[in-house]
Amino acid sequence: MSKVVSTAGRLRRLLAILVWINQDGYASIDETAERFDMSPDELVKELELAACCGVPPYSPDELLEIIVSDDGVAVRPNTALARPRRLSPGEGFALAASIRALLEVPGSDADGSLSSALAKLEGVMGSADLAVAIDEPEFLPMIKETIASNEALRITYYSAASDRESERTIVPRRLHLSEGHWRLDAWCMEKNDLRQFRVDRISAAEKIAQSGTEDLPRDLGPHEAYVPGPDSTTVRISAPKRLRWMLENVPLAGPMEEDGDRLVVTVHVGGVAWLERLLLRLGPDCVVLEPSECQGVASEAARRILQRYR
Amino acid sequence: MARRDALERVNNLLLALLQTNRPLTLEQLTKEVDGYEGNHEARRTAFIRDKALLEKEGAKVEMVSVPGNAQYGYRINPDTFYLPALDLDPREQAALNLAIAGVHLGEPTGREALLKLGIWGDPLPKAAQVVSRVDLVGGEGTLALEQLYEAVRTRATATFNYRSESRRVNVAAIRFARGHWYVVGYDLDRQDGRTFRVDRIEGTPTLSGAGSASLPDGFDAEAIFRIDPWQFGTADEVDVRIAVDRAELGRVLAELGDDALTERLPDGSGIIHMVVNDLEALVSWVVDLLDHAEILEPQEVRQTMITRLERMAGRGAGATS
Repeated sequence: MSKVVSTAGRLRRLLAILVWINQDGYASIDETAERFDMSPDELVKELELAACCGVPPYSPDELLEIIVSDDGVAVRPNTALARPRRLSPGEGFALAASIRALLEVPGSDADGSLSSALAKLEGVMGSADLAVAIDEPEFLPMIKETIASNEALRITYYSAASDRESERTIVPRRLHLSEGHWRLDAWCMEKNDLRQFRVDRISAAEKIAQSGTEDLPRDLGPHEAYVPGPDSTTVRISAPKRLRWMLENVPLAGPMEEDGDRLVVTVHVGGVAWLERLLLRLGPDCVVLEPSECQGVASEAARRILQRYR
Repeated sequence: MARRDALERVNNLLLALLQTNRPLTLEQLTKEVDGYEGNHEARRTAFIRDKALLEKEGAKVEMVSVPGNAQYGYRINPDTFYLPALDLDPREQAALNLAIAGVHLGEPTGREALLKLGIWGDPLPKAAQVVSRVDLVGGEGTLALEQLYEAVRTRATATFNYRSESRRVNVAAIRFARGHWYVVGYDLDRQDGRTFRVDRIEGTPTLSGAGSASLPDGFDAEAIFRIDPWQFGTADEVDVRIAVDRAELGRVLAELGDDALTERLPDGSGIIHMVVNDLEALVSWVVDLLDHAEILEPQEVRQTMITRLERMAGRGAGATS
């Protein structure tokens, strides 16, 4: 059970509870307690406190119209504090951006409810020109179909970690968009394990018959931006502070540390090509601290690329 | 006597400020509102703390002058506190829950918004299982985004530091593309339309002149919106030609658009052109293609790339620096 200690947190929670109950005018104690992650006793105590609040002179008709009984709580329609409050700029932004983003994902507003909810919100809050562009790689629709149907795909995939194209058989499981790219969690039949693929790096795909797909796990656990594989290496890099903005766009394995006028970061590296790209982008003022076998990666890559310019 | 619960006092203060017809003085509030105890100073201190708490929770406590010794009275205008009725039907409520569950923005989440609307936590429909998650995390720029969104909504001028320079911008539009948030607006000092990457804005923008930030006639946010990092510089524009081999050409064209292709060669590789005003950004972009790409022209841009690579090649195994 979560413990809300601050008065502000309790006020926020109490108002949320009252607004929710106000929707139907009545709610059971148990259901309300579960929804707001409280014990029934704790909930009843907060509601009884609210029922004693009002305006001077605090005669019964000046108190909030909240009636707590043994197993439920009733709120008279439009009781003060039980009507929705205005949203803060951050909350308004979060709602508008989330709706706009989801509207860009094909198939996510089949019955138009999301669009009509947005229209109602903007009618009340005012609208702002906010747009979210989401890319649509060629094989995204096919992948969505196979997630729903539990089918397998034979794909040609370019791996940025190894800088190589290969053919694989995968069973797609889950899609998410991160850092502007669609990423697919899928079972890789060759590796017999879960792997993440960038959908825009699939250059060919076709559905194939594959037995045993129904036996593969469906529950993948929480989303992770990057899951280090068993072969990944942990690399520590030192960079000048002026490159902080570049490092902020790199998935780091730990907090950024300061070392005088430099920053030290740790990254999980799944393949040498990925490390080459990172180091080349960061430029000549960056140094690999450890492991020592990665200290020559950037210079070797630079020499290889220079061959093209000779 | 047991100590009074602070929440009860705050609730009572909120109700008194919301439901009064005339502003209430500090004396009236701390004497009549249930929960204030002790001497004048203790009551005053408690009131100031409670008022700050309510304001932090979004209640606008107005301070207005009143006749008499007290000079000032307080109230909350219910119109600034309550949201007008939205009348969301159950399907719309479910759709909003789905949007908040499916889209990740970092802090703040939309959860607080749904809690305020009284619709958070409704069971998601089964379809939610296959709806993909979308990650729009603004990184360092999240707080700036909230303010910039407010600037567009209220037509205010936003002032912020960008690349160590102060900017005053009448903000027109907010865009998310290729993993980053951008803001498009009219730069009052440069008297021109500009695109800014939100995570490069230093600190939180301040807003002024709500309702008065105007845009020039014919201002076209879409035409001004630029997201290519090599076009964010201040140098003169250069047309750069780059050879890209077969392995990377498809992805490069997916990013730049087919218009970037000037020539496709029989082996599947191609020549692309890019208009660039930030060489450093261009070089970073090209090295990311490793040896799948080569800058062909102009010669000085090609030389910038070679110099950078030579500096990097000179280090590491077998080399001294």
